[in-house]
Amino acid sequence: MKRILNRYVISSTVIIFVLLLPIVSLFIYAYGGQSDTLVHLKDTALNDYVFNTLKLIFFVSILSLIFGVIAAYITVFYTFRFASIYAILLALPFVIPTYILGYIYSDILAYFGPVHIWLKDLGLIDKNFFDVLNFNSVVVILSLGLYPYIYLIVKASFLKSSSALLQPALSLGKNKIELFYQVILPLSRPAIIGSLALVIMEVINEYGTVSYYGVDTLSTAIYSTWFSLNDPKSSVFLSIIAMSIVFFLLAIEKFSRSNSAYKSESISKVFKKDELKSYQKFFAYIFLSIPVLFGFIVPFVWIIIYTFKYALEVIDEAFLEVVMNSFVASSFSAFVIVFLAFFISYTIRIYDNTYTKYLSKLAGIGYAIPGVVIGVGVLSLFGDIDHGLISAFGLDELLLSGTLFAMVFAYVLRFLAVGLNMTESSYENISININKASRNLGLSYWQTLVRVEFPIMKKTLFFAFLLVFVDVIKELPLTLVLRPFNYETLATKTYEYAANTMIQQSATYAFVIVFLSFIPVILSHSKNKEEDK
Amino acid sequence: MRKIVGVSVLFGVLLLAADVVNVYSHRHYEVDKKLYKDFYKKTGIKVNLIKASSAELIKRIEVEGKFTKADVLLTTDVGMLELARSKDLFQSVKSEFLENTIAVYLRDKDNLWFALTKRARVIAYNIDEVQPSELSTYNALTDKTWKDRIVVTKSTEVYNQSLLASFIVNYGEKNASLWAKGIKENMARKPSGADKDSLRAIAAGLGDVAIVNTYYIGQMIKGKSFSDKATAEAIGIFFPNQSKDEKGTHINVSGAGVVKHAKHKENAIKFIEFLASKEAQEAFSEVNFEYPVNKEAKTSQLLQSWGEFREDKTSLHKVGTKNIDAVKIFHKVRWDK
Repeated sequence: MKRILNRYVISSTVIIFVLLLPIVSLFIYAYGGQSDTLVHLKDTALNDYVFNTLKLIFFVSILSLIFGVIAAYITVFYTFRFASIYAILLALPFVIPTYILGYIYSDILAYFGPVHIWLKDLGLIDKNFFDVLNFNSVVVILSLGLYPYIYLIVKASFLKSSSALLQPALSLGKNKIELFYQVILPLSRPAIIGSLALVIMEVINEYGTVSYYGVDTLSTAIYSTWFSLNDPKSSVFLSIIAMSIVFFLLAIEKFSRSNSAYKSESISKVFKKDELKSYQKFFAYIFLSIPVLFGFIVPFVWIIIYTFKYALEVIDEAFLEVVMNSFVASSFSAFVIVFLAFFISYTIRIYDNTYTKYLSKLAGIGYAIPGVVIGVGVLSLFGDIDHGLISAFGLDELLLSGTLFAMVFAYVLRFLAVGLNMTESSYENISININKASRNLGLSYWQTLVRVEFPIMKKTLFFAFLLVFVDVIKELPLTLVLRPFNYETLATKTYEYAANTMIQQSATYAFVIVFLSFIPVILSHSKNKEEDK
Repeated sequence: MRKIVGVSVLFGVLLLAADVVNVYSHRHYEVDKKLYKDFYKKTGIKVNLIKASSAELIKRIEVEGKFTKADVLLTTDVGMLELARSKDLFQSVKSEFLENTIAVYLRDKDNLWFALTKRARVIAYNIDEVQPSELSTYNALTDKTWKDRIVVTKSTEVYNQSLLASFIVNYGEKNASLWAKGIKENMARKPSGADKDSLRAIAAGLGDVAIVNTYYIGQMIKGKSFSDKATAEAIGIFFPNQSKDEKGTHINVSGAGVVKHAKHKENAIKFIEFLASKEAQEAFSEVNFEYPVNKEAKTSQLLQSWGEFREDKTSLHKVGTKNIDAVKIFHKVRWDK
């Protein structure tokens, strides 16, 4: 028995070790970074960077929790007209990259932009109206772009909150609100905190919007230390600080998870949804409409308008190739990630100890490191391997550097956390007794994985695939630095225009990102519905 | 089996023989794409391209070492050209055409890199609030009369770095520092956005003057966006430091060098020569509103309409070595806070 277990642990260890090699090489690389740069930063702006980062994390967390958790609660436990449309729309803001969202709002609110023109005649505008490039805007924009992580993951968890607990609680005369606080919320805590961790890591990594809106965070410091002070070593050192913040938060998460005692045996749930009363309905519509309107509809309408205006100008003969590149790279990476995430969390499930728990935390660390830093890690590691191969076998060319393999490897390292977060928080709610029962019936661990666990987890895995797919398709910094010659994705094309402050021209490529991301979102929704029936 | 080997060898040979030049570029302009096609039509040499920021591309060339596929590094700034030079990533180029075409202050003294386009960093002003007669030099903007009236981008913008680096070269570190401090004290708002946003801010009245690159104004005037046009109409352009005892308006450049371990050196030189040719230079000026480095090339009408100006001819090679010092000054005066 021990040996079979170890096979899983060993495989998972090897997978994670290989994945983390670029990060290990970064640590070695950063060792003894140019300390005068760090001293300089400490003397000048480092405190601001850290303080701003923490402030941003705090406010974005609160706002996106409000949007995400309440939206999930209303859509899962109540019925109202257009509920299923809202259910989809609420997920959609995250298909628009946050940096694009930032650019779009600066364009909409610009001098003689649409809002200005509209309000000008009403005399409602003074010059301070145009002062949007600031901290508060960043909080709103990031929350709008990121709350769907919380919404989607928490919703999946609410759906799993099984009738086994809900029905008895209801029959004991608890009302819905009490139920929410006393049963559902504790039950979904792993999902809430897990998804919040994703949001926080995104905030720490965010570069486009924060730098454009003039907010200096650790992420902007990491870029400027490298690009302006030309000291990649110190920049890696700063990203280690960023990682420590994440580790600290993850430690809190782990602590909170270990307190969660509820696990359910059954996974099917049929509970009756309540109708909202009329005044409740009113508030529900308003509440759900705000994030949908500003997180998705307004920017999407903007994207459509400028897609029409500029499509002919920006579409060239390589357009289809760009679309294919994005689609293939994103689906392939998402598939690999979901597969690995499932395997690793299954390992932890059947071999639950401190070692495996830390192993999985380590596996997700890539998400906490800015893409550009992972880029250097992968670049350097593969370069070293190549040079090693060249001298060992007398090759005359780089084998791995500048290949799609290097790029996909980096995506997996970067986004494995997203997959893991979904599979692990989902397992929190599914009792291990299911696995034990299957084992008692004579199935092996592998057979149990394929025949019992996979069907239970299918929906979760699909959600995970969806989240990762969208994450990869939006990914920019890694792609920029690792891509092969003439390789463009939708994100790099969008960026090409945005970086040149031709944001309106970037709409066409942003449109395709949004469109391609629709497919998995809508598929997952219809799948949900099917299972609800 | 033999056949397969034969065919793949043949393919290999074909691939090697195919005439290409591999370019790592930080330039992300539409006009470049068109020029690469023209270059192919003219020479049969295909341009393979990777675009990322200069710092990343430099790191990549470094890591790839002897086996790099890059033949040319194209940057948007002289600081990065100097960085690549200091890391010994370029090789000296012998080209009579380039030496005759590109002025000495616009290239490295050993011909390791060449500037290919110029952009002037000017003072833009809100025409309702400011008379051109009130403007004179970059330094005059540190005067108290400009308190809460200046809009400018962050210290991470390389054009600000080059501007301050040129002050370090021309007036010494202490004066450069005083300038940065003076501007910081007069800022109308915290630095943010890009040059275009600075222009929007002064058009909207959040400030009165902005320090910006000329080609953004060109983009706004010639673009399709109504908001951009309205913005451009509300502002005027002033070329500072024009009086006799001043050095002239600061220019920053975009430029290129041939990578040390280039596998297609001849093609790389042809490529850079093409970009410096009259034809390409006029396209840069006409489509992207950059100033040509080739004197034969006509400056676009729009740029001409802004008037002639005297540019600061301080050797860019020297300016490029001071970028990091400039960033440190920006940090010390808390430019971005």
